[in-house]
Amino acid sequence: MKPGRVIAGVLLVASMAAGTFSDAPRRVPPPFLRGYQVLAADFHVHSFPFSSSTLTPWDTVIEARRQGLDVIAMTPHNHTWVAKVGQWFSKKINGPIVLTGEEIVTPHYHLLAIGIRRTIGPNLSAATAIDEIHRQGGVAIAAHPTKKYWPAYDAEAMRKLDGAEVVHPIIWRREDLGEQLRQFYGRAHLTAVGDSDYHGLGPVGLCRTYVFTHDASEQGILDAVRKGQTVVYDRGQAYGDPALVQLAEADGRLPDLSGPTAQDAGFLSAFSRITAILGMLVAMTLVYPIRSGGTTGSGGTSA
Amino acid sequence: MSPWRSLRRPAFVAFVLGCTISLITFPGLTLRLAGPSAIYWSFIPLAEIVALALICRKGNELLSFPSKVDLFFAGHLPWLLWLTGLSAAFSFLSPGEAFAFAQPFWLYYVAPAVIIWSAWIDFGFYRSILRSSRGGAIARLVAQRAISWSMILLIFSGSIVWQSPHL
Repeated sequence: MKPGRVIAGVLLVASMAAGTFSDAPRRVPPPFLRGYQVLAADFHVHSFPFSSSTLTPWDTVIEARRQGLDVIAMTPHNHTWVAKVGQWFSKKINGPIVLTGEEIVTPHYHLLAIGIRRTIGPNLSAATAIDEIHRQGGVAIAAHPTKKYWPAYDAEAMRKLDGAEVVHPIIWRREDLGEQLRQFYGRAHLTAVGDSDYHGLGPVGLCRTYVFTHDASEQGILDAVRKGQTVVYDRGQAYGDPALVQLAEADGRLPDLSGPTAQDAGFLSAFSRITAILGMLVAMTLVYPIRSGGTTGSGGTSA
Repeated sequence: MSPWRSLRRPAFVAFVLGCTISLITFPGLTLRLAGPSAIYWSFIPLAEIVALALICRKGNELLSFPSKVDLFFAGHLPWLLWLTGLSAAFSFLSPGEAFAFAQPFWLYYVAPAVIIWSAWIDFGFYRSILRSSRGGAIARLVAQRAISWSMILLIFSGSIVWQSPHL
């Protein structure tokens, strides 16, 4: 056997073994604070296929559990059926609570419809879409409401809206976008929400919402969001119900995961990452051998 | 070339896709993510093979279709290096830093360069392997990408493609 194959094989097998061995779920029971059960939630999660993400609904559920999330809302673009698959699977494995939902995507606004069962079309005004969400018993959250989406949220829509994403990964791309999210959140009495808008880049729950509820059920969570019983962190800054922010601060157990945080610590994880990249590169030189006088050859293939 | 041997490079593309998904999600190479992802993300090389079959019905009859598939996938190195770069960013930067690096730099600025590089390689494939004229090679390049990328986009993004074309 060629030495290159042995090297690539050893690197990739070692990486896979180390990674798989270190792949354990973070089992942190939801804390209780003065009678409230505090659930870690991510209300904006996409999956594969048809929703511009990398993991299937069942892999997304397992990954959410590994990331210590108690609640996720699956919000495919303009449909709900992938979310129903995720909810069904999570119930089967006793995973996190999965709320079915949809991200209503229109050229004028993006709106999260959480807790709905039937698809809401993208051809409604924001106010009408919110009415339909409420008719189905769901909550309406403005998704990454940056300046270009503000005109869609007129006075009527703002009055009906339940919450807004005040923390979202776009804040790391451009600080001015973060400022726009904060300005929108400040425009009305809205529930503070932090979401990862998970499309496969980075961990699910990278930005998260702490929901304070007396009833850790789907209905209890939706009610808590309606009542504004949330706390969200953005690099040390907290948003949400001031009394709950104070309560959380005094307790000190809710981790602020927003912002650039350190990677999963641990030797096995680091070893797995390094050997994986090296193994992939070595394997590429075997499958795509570099020939003199050209970038890549045909790898010995002949007609 | 046997059909099985011709799937070596498409299978490698699926393998790298699986590894990338594991590394940008976990981060680390875990069987739980890399294995299933490599299987369901094999829809990308499959879509490319289907598109290739549609546009390669004529051209260099001396070469079998499995050989054409193998030689076509020899041009995928730019994409695999791009995926490895993305994996490295999420492996060694914090999630926030990696996210900021991926969007916009890696996705919006580097990916177009990769598209052009791989198009140049594919153009060479149509010219030298399928013996197309310059115009024929360009037409095949555009047709193959239009067919395969449409299928990929439809499976990846679904309803957003037909319901929100302005986004």
